[in-house]
Amino acid sequence: MNALRRVITTEWAGLAAIFVLGCAVSAFLSPSFFTEFNIYVLLRSACVGLLVAFSQMIVLAVGQMNLAVGALGGLVAVLFGAMLELLGLPLPVAIVLALAIGVAGGLVNGLLTARTGINGFIITLASGSAFTGINLGITQSKPFHGIPPEFVTFGDSRLGFIPALLWPPLIVAPLLALFLYRIKTGRRLLAVGGNAHAAELSGISPGAMIVVAHAISGGLAGLAAVLAVSQLGAAQPEIGSTWLLISFAGPIIGGTSLNGGYVSILGTMLAVLVISLIENVLVLARVDPYWVQFALGALVLVTVGLNRWRAVRAARA
Amino acid sequence: MSLSDVRRPARRLDIAPQLGLLAVIVVLCVVFTLRQPGFMSSFNLFAMGRSLAVDVVIGFSQMVVLATGGMNLSVGSIGVCCVMLSGYLMQGLGLPVPVAFLLALVLGGALGWLNGFTIVRSGVNSFVVTLASSSLFSGAMLILTRAEPINGLPPLVTAIGSYKIFGIVSPALVATLLVGLGLFVFYRYSVAGKEMLAAGANARAAAISGIPVERAIIMSHVLSGVLAGIAGLMVVVRVGAAMPAVGGEDWLLPSFLGPVLGGTALAGGFVSVVGTLLGAALVTIIRSGLLVLNIGNFWLQLFLGLFLLAAVLAQRYRGIFGARRK
Repeated sequence: MNALRRVITTEWAGLAAIFVLGCAVSAFLSPSFFTEFNIYVLLRSACVGLLVAFSQMIVLAVGQMNLAVGALGGLVAVLFGAMLELLGLPLPVAIVLALAIGVAGGLVNGLLTARTGINGFIITLASGSAFTGINLGITQSKPFHGIPPEFVTFGDSRLGFIPALLWPPLIVAPLLALFLYRIKTGRRLLAVGGNAHAAELSGISPGAMIVVAHAISGGLAGLAAVLAVSQLGAAQPEIGSTWLLISFAGPIIGGTSLNGGYVSILGTMLAVLVISLIENVLVLARVDPYWVQFALGALVLVTVGLNRWRAVRAARA
Repeated sequence: MSLSDVRRPARRLDIAPQLGLLAVIVVLCVVFTLRQPGFMSSFNLFAMGRSLAVDVVIGFSQMVVLATGGMNLSVGSIGVCCVMLSGYLMQGLGLPVPVAFLLALVLGGALGWLNGFTIVRSGVNSFVVTLASSSLFSGAMLILTRAEPINGLPPLVTAIGSYKIFGIVSPALVATLLVGLGLFVFYRYSVAGKEMLAAGANARAAAISGIPVERAIIMSHVLSGVLAGIAGLMVVVRVGAAMPAVGGEDWLLPSFLGPVLGGTALAGGFVSVVGTLLGAALVTIIRSGLLVLNIGNFWLQLFLGLFLLAAVLAQRYRGIFGARRK
C-alpha cells in the first residue's frame, strides 16, 4: 500500500495515467491507432524530441536556461551534412565530430555565461542567433542531401514497433540519471541549481558546473541533430528551428523545476511521449496541423497552472 | 526617500551607452556611405525609416515588460494576431481603416492582458507563460486564417505605406517618434509609469510602500500587447497586405536587441526610451547596410547575434570598471 501511494504521488504518475488513458481513448476512436506501424510512427516522432528535452533539462538543472538548443542543433546538422557530402568523411568520424561540435558550442555558451555573469537568457539568445547565422551563411538555406543511404535506412528501420532511432535516447536517459544521482559532478551540478550560494560556500564552483551543464546540453543537442538528419534523410538548415517550445515543454510538463536543482528524467520522457501522442492523434483525426501548436501551448499553461495550484495547496496543508 | 531620488543616479550613469551607440551608428553610416553612396540616397533613407519604425516599436513592446522585471516572448505572436484581425475586419467585414486598426490594437491589449493576468494569478514566471501563450496565439491565428494571406485591402492602406512626408520621411516613423515621446513622458512624469518601474526595481519593497504591483505588471503587458499591435499594423501598411508569416519568432531577437543595446536592464526597474530607439536604429542600419553592400542577408543573423553579445559584454565590463573606480 505504501509503495502504491509513493508511485501515485510521484510527479510522473499523472503523466503516465494521461498517456495510458490517451492511448486507450485513441484506440477506441480509431482502429488504426493500435497497429504496430502506428505505434512505431508515434515512437519515432518522439526520438528527437526526447534528446532536445534532455538538452534543455540539464541546463535547467543547474538553474540556467538555453535558448540556443535549436540553433546549435541546426548548425550541427548542416555541418554534419557538409562533412558527409563535401568532405566525404566516413560516417562514424562524422558522427563523433558532430557531437564534438555540439559540445564545443555548449562550452561557448557555458563559458560566456559563467565568466561574464550575464543572464544566460541573453547570452544564449545572442549565441543562438550567431549559430543560426553561421548555419544560413554556410548553406544559403539549401539542404545537404549527400547522406549515406545506410544511415537513412537506419532512421527508417525498426524492431517490431520499436524504431532504431529510439535507442540513442533510451541509452542517454539512464546515463543522465547515473550522472545526476550517482556521480559527484552531477550531484554538485544539482546542488548549484538548488542553491548556488550554499553550494559555493561548501566549496563547489558554480561557474564550473554551469560550463559542464552547457557542454552536456550542447552534446545532446548535437546528438538530436544527428538523429534528425537520419530521420529526415537530409541535413536541412531548418532542423532545430521548431525546438524551442518542445525543449521547455518536455522538462516543465515532466516536473523539472525552472529554478534549478531538481529534474525528473522519467517525467520528461513521459511528457515528450504525451506530446507525440497528441500530435499522432490529431494526424489520425485529420485535424488541421495548426491545432498541434495550439494544443502544446495550452498543455504547458495547464500543467504549470496545476503544479502551482498543487504547491499552494501543499503549502497550506 | 521618494521614487525620483532612487532613479537619479542611474539616469546620470546610463547616458554613456547611448552616446556610445550614437558613435557606432555614425561610424557605420559613414563606412556604408563611403563603400556605397546609394546608402544615403533618399530612396534608401525612406526604406530605412520605414523598417526602423517597426524595429523601434517592437523594441518598445519588449522594453515596457522588461521595465517590470518580466519578459514577453509572445511579442511576435500578438503582432501577427493583430495583423490578421485588421486584415479580416477591412476585407471580410469592410470596416473603415481607422476602425479596423483601432479594434486590432484592442485585441493586442486584450492578449497582453491575458499574459499579464495569467502571470500574476498563477505566480509562474513570465518566460514560461509567454512562451506557451505565444504558441497558443499563433496556433489559434493559423487555425482561424488557415495561414492564408489577406490581399484585398482598401487602397488607403497602400497609400499610407507609400506616402512620403517631405519626400523622404515615412508616416510610420512619425508615429513611432510620437509613441516614443508618449512613453518617455509616461515613465518620467506619470504615476502609473513610476509604479511600473518601482515594481520592477524591487517588487516587495514596492508592495510594502503600497504600490499595486500586480496591477502594474498586468498594465505593462497590456501596453506591450498594444505596442506589438502597432508594430504589426506598420507592417500591414508597408506590405499592403495582412500576411500570417509576419512577426512570430522573427521578432524575438529584434525585440530584445533594441532595449538591451540601449541600456534597459533585464532585471527591471529602469528603461531608456532613447536608448531603445538608438539600439533599434543600429539594427536597422546594419541590416540595410549589409543589403546595400550586397553581403547576403544570410549572414545578417550572425552579425546581429555577435552585436548583441558584444553590447552586453561591453556594458558588463564598463559596469565593473565603473564600480572599481569608485
